[in-house]
Amino acid sequence: MLQGTLDLLILQTLVPGPAHGHTIAHVIEHRSEDVLQVEHGSLYPALHRLETRGWIASFWGTSENNRKARYYRLTALGRKQLEAQTSNWDRLVQAVNRVLRPAGE
Amino acid sequence: MGWLRYLRRKRWDQERARELECYLEQEIADNLARGMSAAQARDAAHKKLGNLTLIREDIYRMNSLGFIETLWQDVRYALRGLRKSPGFTLVALLSLAMGIGATTAIFSVVYGVLISPYPYARPGEIWAPSIHDLKNPQQVRNWHRIREYMEVKKLPAFAETMATLPETRLLTGEGAPERFQSIDVTANAFQFLGVAPVLGRSIQPSDVRPDGQPEPVIVLSSGAWKRLFDSRPDALGKKLILNDEPFTVIGVMPPRFGWYTSEGGWVVLPEDVRDKRYAAGIVRLKAGVSPQAAEDQLQALHTRLAHEQPEDFPKSGFTTKLDNYLDVTTASGEMQSSLRMLFGAVGFLLLIACANVANLQLARSTARSHEISVRMAVGAGRGRLLRQLLTESMVLSLVGGVLGVLLAIAITKAVELLIPGDYVPNEARITVNSYVLLFSAAVSVFTGILFGLAPALKSSRPDLVDALKDAGRTSGTGGGTRTRSALVIAEIALSVVLLMGASLTIRGFLQLQSVNPGFQADRVLMMGLQVSPKRYSTYQQRIAFSENVLAALGTIPGVQSVALGNGGLPFGGPRSQYSIEGQPKEDSRELLLGLISSGYAQTLGIPLRAGRDLSPQEITRVEPVALINETAAKLWPAGANPIGARVHLDVLDKLPPEQLKAPSISPVVTVVGIVGNTRNDGLRNPTLPALYLPYTILATTGRTVALRGSAQPMQMLNAVRERIRGIDKDQPLGNPITLAEVLGFETVQPRFNMALFSFFGFLGLALAAIGIYSTLSYTVARRTHEIGIRMALGAGRGDVLHLMLKMAGRLVLIGLGVGLAGSLALAKFIGSEVFQVPGTDPVALAGVVLLLTFAAFLACFVPSRRAARLDPMSALRHE
Repeated sequence: MLQGTLDLLILQTLVPGPAHGHTIAHVIEHRSEDVLQVEHGSLYPALHRLETRGWIASFWGTSENNRKARYYRLTALGRKQLEAQTSNWDRLVQAVNRVLRPAGE
Repeated sequence: MGWLRYLRRKRWDQERARELECYLEQEIADNLARGMSAAQARDAAHKKLGNLTLIREDIYRMNSLGFIETLWQDVRYALRGLRKSPGFTLVALLSLAMGIGATTAIFSVVYGVLISPYPYARPGEIWAPSIHDLKNPQQVRNWHRIREYMEVKKLPAFAETMATLPETRLLTGEGAPERFQSIDVTANAFQFLGVAPVLGRSIQPSDVRPDGQPEPVIVLSSGAWKRLFDSRPDALGKKLILNDEPFTVIGVMPPRFGWYTSEGGWVVLPEDVRDKRYAAGIVRLKAGVSPQAAEDQLQALHTRLAHEQPEDFPKSGFTTKLDNYLDVTTASGEMQSSLRMLFGAVGFLLLIACANVANLQLARSTARSHEISVRMAVGAGRGRLLRQLLTESMVLSLVGGVLGVLLAIAITKAVELLIPGDYVPNEARITVNSYVLLFSAAVSVFTGILFGLAPALKSSRPDLVDALKDAGRTSGTGGGTRTRSALVIAEIALSVVLLMGASLTIRGFLQLQSVNPGFQADRVLMMGLQVSPKRYSTYQQRIAFSENVLAALGTIPGVQSVALGNGGLPFGGPRSQYSIEGQPKEDSRELLLGLISSGYAQTLGIPLRAGRDLSPQEITRVEPVALINETAAKLWPAGANPIGARVHLDVLDKLPPEQLKAPSISPVVTVVGIVGNTRNDGLRNPTLPALYLPYTILATTGRTVALRGSAQPMQMLNAVRERIRGIDKDQPLGNPITLAEVLGFETVQPRFNMALFSFFGFLGLALAAIGIYSTLSYTVARRTHEIGIRMALGAGRGDVLHLMLKMAGRLVLIGLGVGLAGSLALAKFIGSEVFQVPGTDPVALAGVVLLLTFAAFLACFVPSRRAARLDPMSALRHE
C-alpha cells in the first residue's frame, strides 16, 4: 500500500463516528471490496502514530457485542488533516490519470 | 512531549497489549460466528493480526528515544555481564584504578613540589647568583655581604633585586621565652615576591627612615599569627619583644607564603655598607637581558670585589653563575631525583595496568566470538553489536576510572604524609592534579576501549558458519595468542624493572641502617641554647653562662656526662685549611672543626683511641690543645705519632672581627688525643678528617648541649629546664631532640624512597602475576578440548602439567630477560644517589629474579594444575 494512504483511510473511516480497531480494519477491507488487504496488526502502530500527532483521540468503551474495546474518534485537527490530505490525494490521482490516459485519446 | 511519552512508554505498552487482546477477542468471536471451530477461530484471528510482539515493539520504539533506549539496555547488559564474570571485572577494575591512581598521585606530588612549588609572582623569572670555586667546584658561595649586595643592585642587567638574611631572635614577653625566626628582608622584598598580606600591610620602602635606620616593624607568618595571637585581627599594632627590642606587628601573610620561614616573621633589613653580615640576594632580569649577559656583568663585579677583599673569595679563581630559582629549591638534588624516578616508575605501572586491561579484554572478546556469531546469525546488525561492545568497554573503563580517581586522592594523601618535610619547600602544596587525572584516566579508558573493540571488529565480520561450528574448539594457537603473549612478556619485563627499583631502594636503606655512626646514639638528649646578644654582650658573660650550664646539668641525677659543642653534634661544623708541622701545605685540604667542652667524646659515646681527653682546665684557660679523629690521624705518615704533633689552623688566624673571642688565641694547636671516627658528614658520606678544639675560643650566642643519661632521654627534659631557669629565668631552650632522632632524619629520604618504590614495585608484580594467571587460565579453558584428546591418547597428568608450565615458563623467561636487560640499561642513566647502591647490585638482582620467578610460578601453577586434573571424558564433551 502507498505510504501515507493507510493514515488517510483510517481518518476517513472515523468520519461517521468513533470506531474501534477491529471495526476500522474490517471497514477498510470491505469498502475497498477486499482490494486493500491490510494486515490488521499494522493498523495499530498507525493508530498509535495518528494519536500521538493528535489527529485522533481514544477512549475505552464497550463494543456492539458487549466487550471492552478501545474506541478512536476524529479530532478537529484530524478533520483538517483529512481535508488537506484528501485534496492532496485527489490532485495526485488526477495527475497520475492525466499521465496514464492523456486527453484526446 | 517526546520525553513525557518516553517516560510513560511502559504504560502505553500495556494499553496497546490490552487493545490487541480486544481485537483478538472480537475477531475470534466473529470467526466463531462464521462457524469455525474454536481452534480454527483463534488461529485465523492470530493470522489476520500478524506478529503480536512485533506490533508491540513497533509501537514501543515509536515512544522511545532510540539511542537512549539501546544505551540503557546495553549498559544494563554490560553490568550484568561484568557481574557474571567477577574475576575478570575485579582484575580489570583494579588494574585501571591502580594505573590511574598511582600515576596521578605521583605526578600531583611532582607538580606541587618541583614544577610549581612557590606562591611568588613569576617564580620562573627569579634568579639566584652563586660563586663557584674553580679548583673545588663543591665549594659554592651563594651570599653577598650587604656592601657587595648594594653593588650588585646597581648592575644594569637587573630590573629588581632583593636580599634576605635569616636571623633567629629571642622572643620574650608574655609567654615563655623562645627562639623566633625573624627573617631580615630588604624593604622591597614583598613587592619583589608579589604576594599581598591577608591582614594589614607588608614591609614597604618607606619603612627605612631617611637616616637609613629601619622602622621596628614585623610582618608575621600565618603560623606565628595563629600561635601567638590565635589568628585574631587585633594582632595588628601589638608589640613583639625580639632581642629586647619592641617590634610592631603591621601585617600577616597568607599561609602559603613561607619565605625562609613558615613559623616566624619578617623584619626590615637596612642597607648599610658597614653591616658585615651575609645576605642571600635574588634578582629579576631586565627585559631583553639574557642570563648569560647578567652572569658576565656579575662576574666582572665579583672580580673587582675580589681585588678589594681577596679573603672573601676563592683564592684559586671562581666563576659566577645565575641559577633559576625553581632549580635551587630545597627539593632539588635528592628529592628531585627521587620524584623523577618515581614518576617513571608509576609510568611503568600505568603501562602494566594498560597491558593487563588489554590482555583481559582480548581474552574476553575472543571467548565471546561464539556469542557474537550467534547474535549475528539471529539478525543483530553489525553497527548495533559494535555499539554494544563499545558500551561494555566504556562501562568497565568508567567504573575503573572512578575507582582510579578515589585511589589517586588516597595515594596523594599518603605520599603527602610520607614525604619528608625537610626536603620539600615549605611553600609547596600537594593537591590532586586534575589535568593528569584526566590524562591517565583517558589513557586507561582508551586502552580498554581499543582492546575491547579491536577483536569485536574482527569477530563481527566472521564467517558465521565457521565460528558457530568452531564453538570453543580452537586450540590456543590463534592470532590473538601472539598479541597476548607479547602483552604478558611486556608486563613481566616492566614489573622486573619496577622490582629492581624497589629492590635497590630496600638494599640501600638496609645498608644505611647498618652503618655504624661511630657514636652510641641511645640515651643522649640534645638541645640548642641561644643567649640574647644584648644581655650577654661580653665574652666573659657568655663563657660563664656556658660553664654554669655544664655544671648545673651535670648535677641532674642519672646524668653521666654533659658536653657543649659547635659542630660535631653530631654532624658538620666549620672547616679550616691547615698545615701540619713538618709537612708541606696543601691549599685544597680542610679539616672539619668541632668546638667542644671536656667530656664531648664520653657524652656521645665516641671511644678514645689514643692519648687523653681535653681537661676542663685546658678548656677554661683556652689552651692550644686538640683532639683528632682516626681519619685525621692518617694525615700523618704511617709510623709517625700524631700525639704531640702541632697543627696550624688558618681559620684561627683571621677570626671574623664581629665575633667575641678569647683574649689570646694561638693558631697552632697540639694534638693530645685521638678519638674514634664518626660519620661527621652525614651517614651517607665518608668520614671527614676532624679536629676538636676548646669551645672557649669563641663566645658564640648559640651552642648545642648534649646529655648522656637516662634510657628515655626526653625524661631528663624537665630537670634540664629547671636547672637552666635556675641560671637565667629568661633563657629559652631550643627544640629538644634525641641523638637517635637526629640519626633517624638521615634515613628519612631513603625510607621515603623505599616505601614508595616497594609499594609500586609490588603493585606492578601483583598486576603482572594476575596478567600471567588470567592469560594462562584463558588458554587452558580454550585448550580443554585439545587436552582431552591428548589425555585420551595416553598423555598423563604430568605431561599436561609440563606442557602448560613450559608454555608459561617461556613467556616468563623472555619477560625476565628483557626486564633485566632493560633495568641494567636504565641503571646507567640513573644516579645511584636515589638508591645508595649501584644499579648492578647482585643481591638486589637475585632478589628480583627469585621473587618474580616465585610469583610467576604461582600464577602459572594454578591454571596448569586445573588443566592436568581434567577428566578426559568431560574435557572431550566440553563445548
